[in-house]
Amino acid sequence: MRVSFTLILGLPLLVAALILPFVVADNYVVHSAAMVLYFAYMASSWNFVCGYVGQVSLGHAAFSGIAGYASVLLFTGLGLSPWIGMILGGILAAAISVPVGYATFRLKGPYFTLTSIAFAEILRIWLENTDAFLGIPLKGAQGLTVPPVGGTSFVAFQFDGKLPYYFIILAMLVGVMAATRLMERSRLGFYLKAIRGNRDGSEALGIDPTRYCLTALALSAFLTGLGGAYYAQLFRYINPERNMGIDLSIDMAVMTIVGGQGTILGPTLGALVLHPVGEVVRATLGGHVLGLHLILYGVVLMLAVLYFPKGIIAPLQRWLAPAPKAPAPVVKPKEVEGR
Amino acid sequence: MDALTLSFAVINGLLLGGIYGGVALGLSLIFGVMRVINFAHGSFLMLAMYCSYLLWASLGVHPYVSILVTVPFLFAVGYVVQSVVISPLIRRERALVVEPTSALLLTAGVYLVVDNSVLMAFGPDVRSVTTDITYESIFVAGLPINMARLIGFAAAILVAFALSFWLKHSDMGRAIRATAQNRDAAAMSGINVPLIYNVTFGLGCAVLGLFGALLVPFFSITPTIGLSFGIKSFLVVVLGGIGSIPGSILGGLLLGVFESVAAQFVTATSAAIFSFGLFIVILLMRPAGLMGRA
Repeated sequence: MRVSFTLILGLPLLVAALILPFVVADNYVVHSAAMVLYFAYMASSWNFVCGYVGQVSLGHAAFSGIAGYASVLLFTGLGLSPWIGMILGGILAAAISVPVGYATFRLKGPYFTLTSIAFAEILRIWLENTDAFLGIPLKGAQGLTVPPVGGTSFVAFQFDGKLPYYFIILAMLVGVMAATRLMERSRLGFYLKAIRGNRDGSEALGIDPTRYCLTALALSAFLTGLGGAYYAQLFRYINPERNMGIDLSIDMAVMTIVGGQGTILGPTLGALVLHPVGEVVRATLGGHVLGLHLILYGVVLMLAVLYFPKGIIAPLQRWLAPAPKAPAPVVKPKEVEGR
Repeated sequence: MDALTLSFAVINGLLLGGIYGGVALGLSLIFGVMRVINFAHGSFLMLAMYCSYLLWASLGVHPYVSILVTVPFLFAVGYVVQSVVISPLIRRERALVVEPTSALLLTAGVYLVVDNSVLMAFGPDVRSVTTDITYESIFVAGLPINMARLIGFAAAILVAFALSFWLKHSDMGRAIRATAQNRDAAAMSGINVPLIYNVTFGLGCAVLGLFGALLVPFFSITPTIGLSFGIKSFLVVVLGGIGSIPGSILGGLLLGVFESVAAQFVTATSAAIFSFGLFIVILLMRPAGLMGRA
């Protein structure tokens, strides 16, 4: 049922995304569309662990920052291609996520969330106040720039137009969805759902919650890291505030929650709705109005928590792919009377 | 580091720590009664500080006089936020399983709205209030003690005593404690539980109205200070034990001294790392967090 629904909704979206840059060949539009895809990708990476385990992390931006910095530093310092730096950065983020997750996944609900914030904030504040670490120039709050190599170079992850960046992030988004789909259908996916449903119960059945949560977290950190490295290459600039600030973590969480946690298309749907609305608000009311789109995110988040706890994907799913009518509950009259 | 610097740091830490404890009182009260972790706690403090600042900047009202406005204002804000935003969730929870994460996300929405509304209205500039009391100090045993901090400290102790007395002996206080113990039993005894929730949330915020105004004379104001105060308040509540009013003050003192001594070794901006680190360590040592005692 879910597969067909994902295809019914996902395929038209994919086709639209593929032809969009040829219909509207405007650099601004393509860039904005790439940003929507970037947020969809980041939210999907967040969803990979948080949506399925049911724990809200507001520290995921740290993984984006770790991998982003790693890829930029490997490029500027060693001349390593950002493609390789991206993978290495992702692996580094995953490696760091394991001890952090090992310690924090024992915490429940809000305590996990608050600890994740504390973890990411420690890293961000440290980076903002550190000019050089072990001889590596981090340049603190000022951030690092990626030196242009001139023209288009696939190896250096630098292209003239916005179009290549657009298709790279589109491919990454399709990749994370495929990974989520694989995970959903694998042993890991079923275990995670069991853990979300009842942690103690699943443990009693012999599932080791820590082990499977950590596996998912490491994969999610790796995916988030790839996104962070992509972001650094797109803007050829990275700083602690934009690449690992709490705003990015909140964006990822809000988009997923509004779209629908624990679904393949939910995070993308959330990004598709929220990011353009935020952009339009920013564009029409002028750049001088700071923070307006975040006010909007806050209102939408509150409405979603109160009225669409399963995300906007739930009503869509009912409408596009209605579930077969459940058989009427069988009531045994005798039992009812017996009470 | 010599003994003089250290004792100065400890005294300053104690004074600021008392204020941290006072700020955390509301969070502890709200969590103790409603089981809601108010993510927007620091944002409400920030709101109170801006309110006090505005009164000073536009009408020349002394921050201590502005308490007469900030306390009722924050009470009203808390009352309205609870009755409009949070109560639908609590009403829904009556039938379903209590979901603390939803409550956290809901108040995170409030945090986004409040913080960014203030950012939109006032911009990201750092503002500060200078009054007669800002630089005034008294000397005790050769150590300068800042008057504004001392007043804040004294107020925290006073409010803590007044609040626990009121909770113990007034009718409303008894009703609040009964609701905290068992919501359904309280409702069956004729207590208007929704009203109790609104009043509790309003009260938790009103305390912030007081400390916002008391902080203004010596603390610079930016739209983003809310979150760091919020995290510090969570830390204080975790340290001191949930719902405990003396615990809140004690936790505040501990955090204040810890931060102030840590700041002697590193720059002030990096000192925040230590309070976050302490937060993680404390929570990990008690994995169930506050819930462990609930």
